[in-house]
Amino acid sequence: MRLRSKLAIRAAKLTSILIKKMKRGSGVTLPGYVARRIDPNILTAMAEQVRGKIIVTMGTNGKTTTNAILCRALESEGHKVIINRTGANMLNGIISAFVLATDRKGKLDADFACIEVDEISSVGVLPKLKPDCALLTNISRDQLDRFGEVDITYNKLLTAVKSVPDTTLIINCDDILSYSLAEESGNKFVTCGISEQIFDDISRSEIRESIFCRKCGKKLEYKFFHYGQLGIYHCPNCGWERPEPDYTAQNIELQDEVYSFDLDGMHIDSTARTPYNVYNTLSAYTALKTMGAGYAGFKDMIEAFDYGNNRESIFTIDGARVQLHLAKNPIGFQQKISLVLKDEKPKDIIIQINDTAQDGRDISWLWDVDFQYLADSNASRIITAGTRRYDMGLRLKYEDIPCETTTDLKAVVEDCAKNGTKNLYVIVNYSGLYRTNHMLAELEKGGADK
Amino acid sequence: MKLTIGHLYPDLLNLYGDRGNIQCFRKRLEWRGIEAEVIPFLSGDEIDFTKLDIVLLGGGSDREQELVCGFLQNIKDDFRNYVEDGGVVLAVCGGYQLLGKYYKTDKKTIEGLGVLNITTDWEPERLIRDIVLDSPLFDRPVVGFENHGGRTEIGDHTPFGKVTYGFGNNGKSGYEGVIYKNVIATYLHGPLLPKNPHVCDYLLERALKRKYGEDAVLEPLPDEMEKKANDYIVERYNDKKYILKETIKRHT
Repeated sequence: MRLRSKLAIRAAKLTSILIKKMKRGSGVTLPGYVARRIDPNILTAMAEQVRGKIIVTMGTNGKTTTNAILCRALESEGHKVIINRTGANMLNGIISAFVLATDRKGKLDADFACIEVDEISSVGVLPKLKPDCALLTNISRDQLDRFGEVDITYNKLLTAVKSVPDTTLIINCDDILSYSLAEESGNKFVTCGISEQIFDDISRSEIRESIFCRKCGKKLEYKFFHYGQLGIYHCPNCGWERPEPDYTAQNIELQDEVYSFDLDGMHIDSTARTPYNVYNTLSAYTALKTMGAGYAGFKDMIEAFDYGNNRESIFTIDGARVQLHLAKNPIGFQQKISLVLKDEKPKDIIIQINDTAQDGRDISWLWDVDFQYLADSNASRIITAGTRRYDMGLRLKYEDIPCETTTDLKAVVEDCAKNGTKNLYVIVNYSGLYRTNHMLAELEKGGADK
Repeated sequence: MKLTIGHLYPDLLNLYGDRGNIQCFRKRLEWRGIEAEVIPFLSGDEIDFTKLDIVLLGGGSDREQELVCGFLQNIKDDFRNYVEDGGVVLAVCGGYQLLGKYYKTDKKTIEGLGVLNITTDWEPERLIRDIVLDSPLFDRPVVGFENHGGRTEIGDHTPFGKVTYGFGNNGKSGYEGVIYKNVIATYLHGPLLPKNPHVCDYLLERALKRKYGEDAVLEPLPDEMEKKANDYIVERYNDKKYILKETIKRHT
C-alpha cells in the first residue's frame, strides 16, 4: 500500500478517537473526510483490498434494512463483511467505514463489502468502489428539497450506474422507474417482483410518480398497484411492459401481524410486519443469488432476522405497549398508517415532524399522505410534536381529525403510557429517530428499575 | 351557495403536496356551509370553463410539464377568456410558468398559455428554501417553500409579494409571483393555502363575488392552528441568529 494511503488511514483513526473522546457525535463521517483530503484515491485503494465481492444498495426506501439482510446472510456463512452503519451513506461516511475497519497496519480483512449509498452521493461513490453488484430498492419521492425532483434522482442514479458498466444491477421490476433505469443503463440486470396482488387498499395510496410511459410518453395502464407506484404496468401504445421477474415471492400471507411467503422453493415464516420488508427480503435474496454467496442458509437466517433495526422498536413503559416507527416520506408514512389501522384496539398516537436538513426542509410531502384513514383508527388522542408540529396539526385539521400539539415529547409519552390506552404509537421522521429511541429506552429502563 | 373548483391535470401536475390547496379550498367552504365541488381534469379531458369558479394549476417535473404543454394548446383560448372575465386562478410553480409565454429549459422551449406576459428561463442551480413574502393584499405575511430551476421575468406585471426571506421570481429582483385580475401565480409550495388561510379566503371571496355579486361575503374562521403554523415560519426568519446558522450550515 502506498504511504499516502497509510497516512490517510492513520489520520482518520486519530480523528475518530478524538471525536469519541470529545463526545462530539458518533464520529462516522469526519474521519472519512480527513482520509479523503490526504489521499483522494483512498476509497479505491480500500475497495481493492476486499477479497470477494462488493455490493452497493441504493434507492429511496429500504436501503438500510436490505443492506442489513445482505450483511447478516453473508456473515451467517462465516464471511467477514464490511458494512457502513446507518446514517453514514454519503462519500465521507463510506470511506470512514472502510478505513476504521483496517488493522494496525492499515490492512483490511474482508471477504465482502455491503455498502449503502445515498442517491445523490452515488455519482461520486460508484466509480471509486467499482462494485460487482448494485441493488436498487426503488425510486420514489423523498426529501424533495434536496433532490429537486424525482427525475433528478433518477438521472443521478443513471449516471452513477453507467459509470460502472461491469456492475450487475438488481432491481425491483414492479417499480417502473427502476426498470426503466436498468434498461436505459446498458448494464446487466436481474429483476425481482411480486406478481400477485397482496397489499390492502389503504397502503395503496394515490401517490403516483410515473404513470406515463418512459418510452413513448403515453399513459400507462396498471393491472393493479401494490402500494405507491409499485404494480403491474404496461403501455397500450408501444407495448413496453413490466417483465416477468427472475425472482418472486408467492403465497404471501399476513397472520398474527407477520408475513409468511414462498421464495425460490422455500417457505419463509418471516418476522416482517410490513409489506415493504417482504420486498426488502426478496431483493436481498435476489442479490445473494446473483453474487453466488450467502443464500444457502437463507431461510434460517431470515426467520430469525430482526427487521426492527431501531426503526420499528417496541417498548414497555408503565405497562403500556409503546411502538416507535420511522416515517420519512409519503410512501413510508402510508405504510405506517396501514399498520396502525390493522390494530383495532384503542390507541394513542404521537406524530413528530422535524424539518432539519436530514429530514428534508420541505414538509409538503405530508399532504401527499392519505391521513383521512386515521379518522377510523380508534385513536383516543393524537398529538403532534417536532419543529413542524403545527403543519402536521393542520394536515389533520383539514381531514377534520382533532389533535393536540406539544413541545415536550417525553412528558406526553409518559402521560400516554400512564393514563392512556396502554397502546401508544410514536411515529417520527428521520432526525427525531435516535433521540426518541434513546428516550423510550430510558423510560423503559427507568420503569424496570423501580 | 356553491363553488366549483377545477383541478387541472392532477395526473401530471401533482408535485409537493399541491393537492393540499384543493383540500384547503374545499374544507374552508364546507366549514362555512358552502357547497364545494372539485372536478379533476385529467390530461386529454374536455374542460368547460364556464362551469368553473376556481381553477388550480399545480406544478410538475420538467418532463411532465412538457407533456402538459401539448394539452394546454387545445384550451388556450378558453383559459384566456376565463381569466379576462375575472375567473379565479391559483397557479403554483410549474403552473405559474405555464401561464406565461414560454419556459425554456436546457433542452427545449415549452410554449405556455400566454395568459401572463412573463417568460421563464431554466438555470441548473435550483432555488430551494423556505420563503416569506409581504403581499400588498394582506396584513399577514405569506409563507411557503420554493423549489424551482426556472427564473421568471414578470415585465410590467404586479408581483404577488416582496420577498423578506428567500429567492422569489429569479433570485435577484426581490419580488415573488404575479397578481393579475383574479389570478394568483406563485412559486410557493408548502402547500401554499393551509398555512396562508388569508390567501385562500381572498380567492374564495373573489370567486363568490364573481358568481353571486358583491354582497357575498365569507364568515371568518378561528384559524388558530393556521396562524401558529404561519407565525412559526415568519418568526423563524425574523431571527437573525437562525438565518446566520442556516447560512453557515449551507456552506459547510
